[in-house]
Amino acid sequence: MAIIVNLDVMMAKRKMSLNELSEKVGLTLANLSILKTGKAKAVRFSTLEAICAALDCQPGDILEYEAPAKAFPKKRE
Amino acid sequence: MKTKTETILTIMKVLTWIVFIGLCIKTGALIVSLFVSLFVNPAASQDIYLGLDLSSIQEYDQWHYICSASLLIFFTGLKAYLAYLVIKIFLKFNLENPFSPAVAKLIDCIAQTALTAGLFVIIMGAYGNWLSKKDILGISFGDSGSEFLFLAGIIFIIAQVFKKGIELQSENELTI
Repeated sequence: MAIIVNLDVMMAKRKMSLNELSEKVGLTLANLSILKTGKAKAVRFSTLEAICAALDCQPGDILEYEAPAKAFPKKRE
Repeated sequence: MKTKTETILTIMKVLTWIVFIGLCIKTGALIVSLFVSLFVNPAASQDIYLGLDLSSIQEYDQWHYICSASLLIFFTGLKAYLAYLVIKIFLKFNLENPFSPAVAKLIDCIAQTALTAGLFVIIMGAYGNWLSKKDILGISFGDSGSEFLFLAGIIFIIAQVFKKGIELQSENELTI
């Protein structure tokens, strides 16, 4: 997936554990783990709002776009 | 306290079990009757199962008789297998997470079995017509071939909708 979730980076900056974040945001540990490991297919705005409020950050601090690498890069002449 | 849907599902499960057991008994009885009519007492072909008389086929040709009886046994077994697949769906079905790959696979299987049964009945019907042209009283399947094909078509569409439902459910589960 081209969208990378940097939740663990923000959690480390704010010195917050997964349990604490789970309690503040109101998500289960399993769901937070799915988000943290990049297995989530979609994030609701309400969830993103709650996470940003808990970590005192912007959505861009948690979400990052990385263009997928091309399978056969063009040969430079 | 059970909801109305759960009550209906329980009743359907019980009825399906009854149908399955009945069809298994019928298949077993047909196999035993065929064996008896071939090796013990040929007069058994006059009442092979609940008054079904295949003695005219047996008098015409022993191989046609074995063929007709075998095809009838196979068709009854196929119906029992369909009932068995439906029972398996009831055992695996969960109303809270209804769209599971196991149930989708079973629905696919039912569609394929119903299609096989429909085509089989059409072939049997043609065979029965051929026998009746020789003034031999064969087994009549009526229009059940087209009914099975219609059932197969409907179940195939349901199977495709179910597969889409699985995709949507898994996407929903991975939506945080």
